[in-house]
Amino acid sequence: MISMGLLLVIVLALCAAGVLVPLAIEERRTPAIVGWFGACAAGVLLCFSGASLFADTPFHATLWSIPSLATLTLSLDRLSALFLFISGLVLLPGSIFAAGNLHRYTGRYSLGAFSVQFFALFATLVLIPLSADAVSFLMLWELMSILIYLLVNYEDEVEEHTRAGYLMLAVGEAGTLLIALAFIVLANNGPLEFVAMKLGGTALGEYARWAVFLLAFFGFGVKAGLIPVNFWLPQAYAAAPDAFVPVLAGATLNLGLYGIVRVNGDLLPVAMIGPGLVALIVGSVTALLGILYATTQSDLKTMLAHSSIENAGIITAALGAGFIFVASNHPSLAAIAFAAAFYHTANHSIYKALLFFATGAVDSNTGTRNIDRLGGLIKTMPLTALFFLVGALSIAALPPFNGFVSEWLTLQTMLQSAGLASTGVKIVFALCGAILALTAALAVTCFVKAFAMSFLGMSRSESAAQARPARASATVPMAFLALLCFVLGVAPTYVIPVLDGAIAPIAEQARAADALVPPFFAGNVHHGELPASFVADFHALGAQVGQSVMPGRGLVVLHRGGKANPVVFAMSTFYMAIVLALMLVVTFAVVRLILVRERSVVRRAVWDGGIRRLLPEMTYTGTGFSNPVRVIFEAVFRPTTVEDTRETVGKHFRAVIRRTRGENHVLDRLVLNPIADAALWVSNGFARMHHGFLNAYVLYGLIALIVALLIARFSS
Amino acid sequence: MHRELQKVLDEVEARWNSRVQLSQEDGAESAYRLECGPQQLPEICNWLFSDLHYSFGGLIVEQRTRWELRYVFYGGREAAWLQVLTHLSPSEDRVPSISRLVHAADWHEREVEDLFGLVFEGHPRLGDFVLHDDAWHEGVAPMRKSFIASEPVLHREPDLTRKPRQIVEEAGAFLMPIGPIYAAATGPVHFQLETVGEDVIRAQPRLFYAYRGLEKIAEGRRAEDVLLIAERISGTSAFAHSLAVCQAVEHMCHMEVPPRARALRIFVAELERLRHHVAAIEGICESTGLAVASAQAAILEEDLLRLSCVLTGHRYLFGLGTFGGLTINLDDSACNRAATQVREVAEKLSVLERMLSMSSSFLDRLEEVGHVSTGEAGDFGLVGPIARASGVSRDMRKAQPYSGYDQIEFEVPDESEGDGYARLRMFFREAAQSALIISTVAKKIPGGRFRVPEVSFRPGAALGWVEAPRGAALHWIRLGEEGVVDRYRIITPSFANWHGFRLAAENFAFQDFPIILATFALSVHENDR
Amino acid sequence: MSQWVIKGLRTGVKSTRYPRVEETAAGTSPGLPAATKLPAELAQLLVARCPANALELAPTGVDVNLRRCIHCLRCVRGTNSPMGWERNYEWATAVSGGNDQKRQFGPAFDRSVHILVVDTGDCGACLNEVRQLNNPYYNMHRLGFFLTPTPRHADVLLVVGALTEHMRVPLRKAYDAMPSPKRVVAVGACALSGGIFGRSFMCAGGVAELLPVDVEVPGNPPPPLAILHGLLVSVDRKPPARLHRGVSDSAGNASG
Repeated sequence: MISMGLLLVIVLALCAAGVLVPLAIEERRTPAIVGWFGACAAGVLLCFSGASLFADTPFHATLWSIPSLATLTLSLDRLSALFLFISGLVLLPGSIFAAGNLHRYTGRYSLGAFSVQFFALFATLVLIPLSADAVSFLMLWELMSILIYLLVNYEDEVEEHTRAGYLMLAVGEAGTLLIALAFIVLANNGPLEFVAMKLGGTALGEYARWAVFLLAFFGFGVKAGLIPVNFWLPQAYAAAPDAFVPVLAGATLNLGLYGIVRVNGDLLPVAMIGPGLVALIVGSVTALLGILYATTQSDLKTMLAHSSIENAGIITAALGAGFIFVASNHPSLAAIAFAAAFYHTANHSIYKALLFFATGAVDSNTGTRNIDRLGGLIKTMPLTALFFLVGALSIAALPPFNGFVSEWLTLQTMLQSAGLASTGVKIVFALCGAILALTAALAVTCFVKAFAMSFLGMSRSESAAQARPARASATVPMAFLALLCFVLGVAPTYVIPVLDGAIAPIAEQARAADALVPPFFAGNVHHGELPASFVADFHALGAQVGQSVMPGRGLVVLHRGGKANPVVFAMSTFYMAIVLALMLVVTFAVVRLILVRERSVVRRAVWDGGIRRLLPEMTYTGTGFSNPVRVIFEAVFRPTTVEDTRETVGKHFRAVIRRTRGENHVLDRLVLNPIADAALWVSNGFARMHHGFLNAYVLYGLIALIVALLIARFSS
Repeated sequence: MHRELQKVLDEVEARWNSRVQLSQEDGAESAYRLECGPQQLPEICNWLFSDLHYSFGGLIVEQRTRWELRYVFYGGREAAWLQVLTHLSPSEDRVPSISRLVHAADWHEREVEDLFGLVFEGHPRLGDFVLHDDAWHEGVAPMRKSFIASEPVLHREPDLTRKPRQIVEEAGAFLMPIGPIYAAATGPVHFQLETVGEDVIRAQPRLFYAYRGLEKIAEGRRAEDVLLIAERISGTSAFAHSLAVCQAVEHMCHMEVPPRARALRIFVAELERLRHHVAAIEGICESTGLAVASAQAAILEEDLLRLSCVLTGHRYLFGLGTFGGLTINLDDSACNRAATQVREVAEKLSVLERMLSMSSSFLDRLEEVGHVSTGEAGDFGLVGPIARASGVSRDMRKAQPYSGYDQIEFEVPDESEGDGYARLRMFFREAAQSALIISTVAKKIPGGRFRVPEVSFRPGAALGWVEAPRGAALHWIRLGEEGVVDRYRIITPSFANWHGFRLAAENFAFQDFPIILATFALSVHENDR
Repeated sequence: MSQWVIKGLRTGVKSTRYPRVEETAAGTSPGLPAATKLPAELAQLLVARCPANALELAPTGVDVNLRRCIHCLRCVRGTNSPMGWERNYEWATAVSGGNDQKRQFGPAFDRSVHILVVDTGDCGACLNEVRQLNNPYYNMHRLGFFLTPTPRHADVLLVVGALTEHMRVPLRKAYDAMPSPKRVVAVGACALSGGIFGRSFMCAGGVAELLPVDVEVPGNPPPPLAILHGLLVSVDRKPPARLHRGVSDSAGNASG
């Protein structure tokens, strides 16, 4: 078979070709290059990472050695393989979609530049999870930050895009700095290869451990989209070109999560409960804030960006729960938590990319992303509507799609806190569980609004009424991802064992599959957790159905708690899907064949109260639909300016009622503005030193010299 | 002459000496006519309305040898009636609008523009009022003499690009259309509510779906037939409107109504008012979903309807009023039986009031909801119990007494909070007062005739007024030869109150809208005519 | 809230037992003119007295066309030879050639008939009588009749009022939006013949000009019991009456 090294080289070679070839050919052939090379590279990447993920094929490569720094190493373990596989799943359709979408920019922007940046980023996306030492990691990380800045700022003629890109770059640099500091503290004056850091990490004291955790958590949290360092994310996602933003949301966001897991799960496993609590709380609050702002957005892309923040929060909360269980010696519970987190990471990448594809298609064909100006697209863009619906159902965590499984697992994890010792921790778990449940409900609201207002009802603008269907370069990727959403939703018991390989090292060798997916029972080896009487009950439930047909383990996700918390939870999306399908078919058959036999179905216009004509102005807008959420959470949103002017003729004839509300993001209000004010205050204080008197400057120099001499004197 | 009136007349002399002509209405000691040119209208009307606090009764337009525009103002008892009259030559059709200063005239001017084709300069909202734009061509003017009422009219093709006017500029604002067919059993009215989702920012009612052209079809009919039309303007206040027409004709033809007839008229009018208020209370309880209370009120309303049928032969008192008295005699024992039953109804009503005042969840829906301030109520010219709930407390029975009301002791209740609960309390208190008046009258009904023996019509014009259950109603009749009606103008209380409805509905949530609508007890039929 | 429960229980049952038992309470119906035997000159005077042309000259007296009667009561008041008067309330008549004549409503509608009420230019009295159908005295819910605000759920379209020009489009739309089987019940003199508003530039001469009407209930306004009778006729639970009362009919004779 082809060796892993060769596969990696092929991937990188295709990326290099993608960088170099567009420089040599005509501009209008570039989209095809992007599509073909990108898809092939992603396919090879899937083979490469799949070999490790499914077959545990190892890979290790030592590159050059930089003296006094480190030896640059690449190494593939199943954790990296998981993230690479997810990236591959997004990059494959993403390249095809980008190829189709690039046509919008011919003539205005350089397509070759896009291709160069895209493939360079592809290469960094491949190499960062493979990097096994701090130096190469930081170099690649920095390169990735710059490349995504360039890609986000692709349409640089628009001023907001430049501002958004700049903000992203600035915050990204701060994050990189924190990551570098984390590695430095972790290395503890030793070598900078990950293997060595892992060995040396056991010697670190409590403060150093906290320092590493916090630096890494917030440093990687920038890319992952956690509060309070995610304020760049909505504008950046909205500014990024439609061809690129699915990759941004589906692949680069995961890198932040990868970093958190790598540092805190692998390099320096958490031994205290504190860090886990921080992650849990930050994750939950991130999720809630993300979905609140998503629900009240009227721009589809910004809404999806806030929704990504929400999903990143859920993943982080699950990771935090996992860390807490690891620190409290409950490896099997930790395995469940990490299974939830990784499953959600995969799911989020898939359905977020799908939703961004659909949004991009809508934007190309109607020219607008504003929900209040869309409507009725299900008639003109039926396939896009179908796939958007699949994505919306998935992200709203409805069976039989994939979001349901990971959301269900996450919430079940929160309920497992009964096995923990400390009451305070249990309370935190309960509260965070409640916040996540609220988030799930708000997510349903948000996506009902997004789908219904954009695709159903009457078209609210000319461009929406005359949209053309999406081209194949958009529908095929969407179909691929929609199918994945369904498969991942219906076959979770096949996915969890695959995730196991990534989980086992960080959950002290506990296996999620063992905790969650009991195999078909009769005469099988691994049901040590399940006593015989239980097996009998389970038999009666019909969980053995499919035993002779399906390979591998059972079709039910089941967990039976230990003595401390003997709770059983079980669910099978496979059976759910079958029951749903049966219900649909049976209902349809009963209605069509039995009930509606002789009567005809008559179609009439919508009942509108008897007015002469129902106009699009008379239908609910997205803003109106989500207004109750805005009103209930007024304390969070707190609009800063509500301008309410009325123009009247005479005293009582009203000509215009104008209302504008300016909103300040709660993070800006509570975190950034105080920090910025403090920084300004400090610098204003220092500015007083810059008054221009030469004599004083000489005096400063003298003082500095005296202080330096004193230090040198007293420290020798 | 009263001192107040004398002061007003003196001031008119002082301000507009040479430019106006002041004269007394024939036969009425407290009605004066102030003739002026069209250009002085805004100033004079504004002075009467804003400075002297006269109420604006309405605008009466007649097409005779020249156009006659009559702006009717009335004050309290001492200040009497003041009609500001202006003329236009037949070819002219423009007159300055007074609506920017006297906002109560807004809808009157719009109605005249639609029906007569006269343009009120300076009015920013003419058009698409009575005659809906999507059915009628421009310039139809059906109230002009040249238009034949019985001929069908060619209607226009609907304009598919026409959009309703939206005045709210906010991201995500939209129009919520309600009606004209919208609730289980209500009159047809279309609401255009502009909102951003939670609150109603602008509530614009579109009325006249039930416009039957009553003023037009009355022309050329005999006065007795016009009485039938008057009863059927609004069936639930039939007697009140027919009483106003009778009083106008009696005044014009110098008929002296016998004392027994006057007392019986008061009896029947208060019975109608009591029944209307009970129905309003039932509507309010129903809108808040308090089923038992609304059933209790409905029982009382049905009791009163049956009582009316037994007493007068018709549940809604049709066919009772006639010129010079009543069509039948209501004998004393029947009246006393009716009065006893009314007393029982009044007792049950007070029990209901007490129980409602202790239901906090019910009061929560009414208190501080649908607030109309005193200033706004005055500016918009609201009348009736809902105006009195906002502190605008003019009642025709006290301000310009008719039919012997000045000899009866009763109170006109007064509230000033102007919210839904104040309006509900107003209905209860006025109902109690009506029951009291019925008892008082029943105790000593004068004997004698119940109608004038001979009715002879003579040409002329006169104004008749009543305090209908919903507020002040004015009817203007001009008779030609042999009692044939030349012009019939109907000004109803619902016309003024629908105009002011948006003051209460705006800036409240959608869920409050039906309740606010119920507390106003508006009648679409009375407004539309 | 318990005060309301107790109050409701103490008020007891007030519902009429119509249609099983005749309702005899006073004041439930104003009645209608009955065909009357009269000598020719008196008959002519009476016919001229009616402002709505509801009285017709017959060889032996005066016939009544109930469709046009507007309850002005002038044929019984102020005249020495008043019309005979019927005090009942079962006045509704069925009109052939309406909707779905071949299709009965069927047993599915026995206890569940939903009614959409459309006011197309009423004076308000008929509408108020319709509203009384839900009060504890008449309580049409016990007969399976319910009011609904939307035509999509409605089986019966109850129209009150003379058809104004502005209400033509809404009425037509409401009728079209109702699923089959459906019935149209026209209530009140205005809906039957235009009433006192008659045929004019704003009003038509009855709802039948726009929609096929199945049941007509005369009166101005018809009392709730008459409307109830009309609804029962529309679902074939009661036999209809006749709108034209002739002197020579075997039933309904009265002398002046």
